[in-house]
Amino acid sequence: HSSKRSLTKIYAYGHDQDQRKFWLALILTSVTLQDIRNTVGNIPMEWYKDYPHIGYDLDGKKIFKPIRNKDELDEFLDKMENPDYWRTVQDKMTGADIRLSDEQVDLVHRLQEGKFGDVNFNEYEPAIDFFSNEVMIHPVTNRPQDKRSFIPSLIEKEKVGKLVHAIKMGWIKPRRPKETTPQYYDLWAKEDPNSILGRHKMHVPAPKLKLPGHEESYNPPPEYLMSEEERLAWEQQDPEDRKLSFLPQKFACLRAVPAYSRFIHERFERCLDLYLCPRQRKMRVNVNPEDLIPKLPKPKDLQPFPTTQSLVYRGHSSLVRSISTSPSGQWLVSGSDDCTVRFWEVSTARCLKTVEVGGAVKGVAWNPNPSICLVAISYDDTVVLLNPGLGDRLVSTATDQLISSYEEPEEVKEQPVQWTVAEGEGHEQGHRLILKHPKAVRQVTWHGKGDYLACVMPDNGSSLQVVIHQVSKRRTQNPFRKNKGLVQCVSFHPIRPYFFVATQRYVRVYNLIKQELTKKLMANCKWISSMATHPGGDNVICGSYDCRLAWFDLDLSTKPYKVLRHHKKALRSVAYHRHYPLFASGSDDGSVIVCHGMVYNDLLQNPLIVPVKVLKGHTITHDLGVLDVTFHPTQPWVFSSGADGTVRLFT
Amino acid sequence: MRQMYLVDDVPFSIPAASEVADLSGVINKLLEANHDGHKHVEFDFLVRGQFLRTKLANHMETENISTEEVVEIEYVEKFTAPQPEECIMHDDWISSVEADSEWILTGSYDKTARIWSMEGKAVMTVAGHTDVVKDVAWVKRDGLSSLLLTTSLDQTIMLWEWNSERNEVKARHCCRGHAGSVDTVAVDPSRTKFCSGSWDKMLKIWSAVPTVEEDEMEEHNRPRKKQKTEQMGLTRTPLMTISGHNEAVSSVLWMDAEELCSASWDHTIRLWDAETGGQKSTLTGNKVFNCISYSPLCRRLASGSTDRHVRLWDPRSKDGSLVLLSLTSHNGWVTAVRWSPSHEHQLVSGSLDNVVKLWDTRSCKAPLYDLAAHEDKVLCVDWTENGLILSGGADNKLYTYRYSTCVSDAGA
Repeated sequence: HSSKRSLTKIYAYGHDQDQRKFWLALILTSVTLQDIRNTVGNIPMEWYKDYPHIGYDLDGKKIFKPIRNKDELDEFLDKMENPDYWRTVQDKMTGADIRLSDEQVDLVHRLQEGKFGDVNFNEYEPAIDFFSNEVMIHPVTNRPQDKRSFIPSLIEKEKVGKLVHAIKMGWIKPRRPKETTPQYYDLWAKEDPNSILGRHKMHVPAPKLKLPGHEESYNPPPEYLMSEEERLAWEQQDPEDRKLSFLPQKFACLRAVPAYSRFIHERFERCLDLYLCPRQRKMRVNVNPEDLIPKLPKPKDLQPFPTTQSLVYRGHSSLVRSISTSPSGQWLVSGSDDCTVRFWEVSTARCLKTVEVGGAVKGVAWNPNPSICLVAISYDDTVVLLNPGLGDRLVSTATDQLISSYEEPEEVKEQPVQWTVAEGEGHEQGHRLILKHPKAVRQVTWHGKGDYLACVMPDNGSSLQVVIHQVSKRRTQNPFRKNKGLVQCVSFHPIRPYFFVATQRYVRVYNLIKQELTKKLMANCKWISSMATHPGGDNVICGSYDCRLAWFDLDLSTKPYKVLRHHKKALRSVAYHRHYPLFASGSDDGSVIVCHGMVYNDLLQNPLIVPVKVLKGHTITHDLGVLDVTFHPTQPWVFSSGADGTVRLFT
Repeated sequence: MRQMYLVDDVPFSIPAASEVADLSGVINKLLEANHDGHKHVEFDFLVRGQFLRTKLANHMETENISTEEVVEIEYVEKFTAPQPEECIMHDDWISSVEADSEWILTGSYDKTARIWSMEGKAVMTVAGHTDVVKDVAWVKRDGLSSLLLTTSLDQTIMLWEWNSERNEVKARHCCRGHAGSVDTVAVDPSRTKFCSGSWDKMLKIWSAVPTVEEDEMEEHNRPRKKQKTEQMGLTRTPLMTISGHNEAVSSVLWMDAEELCSASWDHTIRLWDAETGGQKSTLTGNKVFNCISYSPLCRRLASGSTDRHVRLWDPRSKDGSLVLLSLTSHNGWVTAVRWSPSHEHQLVSGSLDNVVKLWDTRSCKAPLYDLAAHEDKVLCVDWTENGLILSGGADNKLYTYRYSTCVSDAGA
C-alpha cells in the first residue's frame, strides 16, 4: 500500500481518458503484484491461454489456474445471486477472481469521475503571485550581486582577441564598402554578337561624297567655265535640275577666293542625305563550298568493279579498232587494222582462231542471241557475217543450216546492199554472208534478238548513212530519207522498238514501228564519238571527242543528267555492263574509266553516278590510246583494245 | 619426331632480336653437345603454329604473344628447296597435267594429249580430239594397260586404253553430251566412274569402265556426229547430269566416293551427293573460281580464283566463316592449286604471273618457295605421291621438281 500512494500521485496527471484506463490497469496489476502466485512476471498472459497452469512454484510444480468451468447459466445464476458479483474482477495474471474492497471501488469511482485518487489532495489551492506588473520597492530576492558582474569578462576578452587575430591574419575579411555607383540594365547584354541583325552589323556606310573636280577649282581651265548663255540657262533652271550646284569661277590667285557662302547650306544638305540615305543592306550568306558538293559513297562500297589488269591478249600487229564478246562470255573477238580478226579464249588469253579479211577491220559485233553463232565484221565497204565455229557445236551447225536454208523470194526487190553467199576459201574460214555496201562501213551493231543488223556509213552528202539488214530474210532497209547530219553511231533499244542515231551533236531516238522521231537528245558537246544504251533501255551514255561523257536519263530530260569530264583526251568508246551497274569509257589518253551508275526504282532518289576506277595499261601509240571497251557479259570485267595492238582484260 | 634432333626440355631465354638463323644455331649447339657426330642442320621454327619469318620480337608482336611468358617454339628440319629435274618441251600450251607413279600425262592446246616417262621421254601421243585438250586424268592401271581420260573444247571426253608394252593407244569411248567445252574431269576413288564439268554449266557423271557395246544415243538425227563416233571409239552417254550452277563449271573433284565438289564461274563451290545428284551445300565467294583442290589429310579445300589469293575453305563448316585462310603472294589469277598428297600443310599453286609457289599453311604471309621457271602463264600444276611437283604453262614447257618433304616434326 505504500506504492499505492505514489501511484495515485501519478494519476493526478493522467487526465486523459486513455491514460486513465492505462493507470487503472496498472493499479490492478500493482494490487496483484504482491500475489506470490504469479511467478511468470509481467508477460502477455495469452501465452498461457491454452495451458491449465500459469508458471511454476519454487519446487518446480505447475501453478494451476483456478478451475473455471462456469457456463452461461452458472454465470447468470452467479450474477443474480452473488451480491458482490459487480465488484468481482478476474485477475489475468493468476486467473483468480478477486473481490475489490470498498476503498478500491471508491478509487475506481473517483477515477471514473475524473478526480484525483487521493482524497486529501486539493486541486485548487490558492496561488500566490510573486511577479506582477506592479513595481515593488523591495527586490524579490535579497541576494547581493556577484563580483563577476563588476569586472570585465575574461571569456569575452579571449573571444575578441581571437577575432582580432583572425582579422590581422586575414582569415576574416572586413565588410566590403557598399558600391555607390548606380546600376543600369544593359539592354543589349544578351544579344548574340554573331546574329545577322546584331547592332554592330547594322552599320550602313555613309554614301560617299563626290570628289571635287576641275570645275570646283579656284582656277579651272577655261573649258569648265560657263559662257554667258550657259550661265543664263543655269540661272533659269530650278536648283534641283541643275547639273552643277554652283557656278565655276576663276580667280587669279588663292588669296582672292572669297569665303564660301553656301557652306552651311551644303552641310545641311549633306546631313539630309545621310538621314535619308537608304538603309537597305545586302545579305550575304556564308556557305562552305565543300558543303555544296554532294556526298559520294566510297568506291570500296560499290564493288564489284574491275580493278586490276589480269590478262593481255597479244597477237595483233596493228591497232585493234573493235572488240566484242560472245554471249556466253567464253570468247572474245577483236578486229584490227592488220586486216585480221582474232578469236580469243577469255580465260587464258589464247588466240584460237585468226581470220584474215580483205581490209582494215573497223567494227566487229558478236550476235547477242545465244542460239546463233555469228559475228559481223566490217571492213572497207564490206560487212561479213562469219561463223567462228566456237562454242556449242549444235548452235554452230544450226546457224549454218539457217543460212543455207534461205530461199530466194520470187520477186527480187532492188536493194542498196548486195548480199552474196561466201564460197570456197572464205567459207572454209567461216565466212557465210558478204554484204557489199556502197560506202565504207564504220560501225556494225546487232539488235538484241540477233536478226537485225545496223550498219553506219558516215557521209555528209548522202541520205544513205544508216542501213538495217534483216539476216533471216536477207533484206536491207534504209530507214531515213533525209540527211540530218553526219551519223556517228547507232544503237538498238534493247527491249522496245526504238533506234538511237547519234549525229555530231544530237542523239535522235526513232520509233521503228511508228516510223517517227520520238526524242532528240542534246549532248552538249561538239562531236559525239560513241554511244551505249543501258540494257534496261532507260539510259544512254555518249562519249565525245571533247573529253566528255554525257549520261542521259530518257525519262527525265533531253539534256544530259550528268556530264563527266574525267578523261584528258578524246573519248573513243563507251560501254554498259549487262547486269552490274557499271559503265566504262576508253579514251585517247590510254586509260579506261569505270563508273558506277546506279538508277533506283524509287523515282525520288537521284541516280548515283560515281567514277570508281581509272584503269591504265595501254601504251599510247600514234596519239591513240584505247579504241574500244566492252564488258564481259556475266562477270564485272572490262576488256579494252588499244592502238598498241593489244586487248587487255581488267578484273 | 626424330630422336636424333631431340634436345632437353629446358626453357631458354633467347634475345628478342634473334632470327631463324640464330635460333637454328642455338639448336645445333645443343645437338652438338648431346650427340658427338652431329652435322649442321638448318631448322625452321614454329611459334604457336606459325612459321617464324622475321625477327622473333616482330613475330610475337604481330601474333599478339606476350614476351613475358615462356613460349614454346617448335622446330622442324628446314624444307629443302624443290630440285628442278626435267623441262619437257611441248608443241603448244599445256592445259593440264596429271602424273602417276611412272608416267606423266599432259593435255595440250595442239589438240593432243601426251604421255611422258618420268625422265622426260615422249612415250605416246594421244591424238583424236578435234579441238584443244582441256583436261586429262588417269583412270587406272591394270598391269601394262592403262585407262586415261581426255576432255576437250570439242565438247567430248575420250576414254583411252593405253598399252605401255606395245605402246599403242586405243580410243575406247567417246563421251558425248556436253554442250560446251569440257574443262574439267575427275575420277572417283573407286576408279569406276568419273565426273566432268563443262562450260554449259552442267556436271555429268559417266561410267569409266570400258565396254564393247555402244550406249544408245538419244538423238539419231546427227549423221555427221555418227561418222565421227565410228572413227573414235564407242559413244557413251552420261549416267547422270547434275545441274545447278549458273555459270561455267571450272573445276570438279571427288571428296570421297559419295561426294562431289565443283567450282564455277558463278562464284560458288558446291558440294553434291554423287548418288542422288542433290546439292548438299554451297560455299559462296565473290570471285570466279578457277580451280579447287581437296586434301583428305587436313580436310580442307583450296581454291584459286580470278584474284591474287589462294583461299582455304572448310567444306564441313556450318557457320558463316567459310574462308579459313587466304594465301596472298601471287600477282595474277591463280589458275591451279594442288594439295600435297603426303603433307597436310603444304600445297602448290600456279598463277598467271608465271610463278609456281609452294605454300605451307603455317606460313600464310609468304610462300616457302617460289618456282619461277616459267616464262609465261602457268596453267596447271600437279603433285605426285612420290614427291614430284609438275607445272605446265603457256610457254609450252612442263617443269618437274623433286621435292622431299621431311614429315618429321622435331620437338619443342
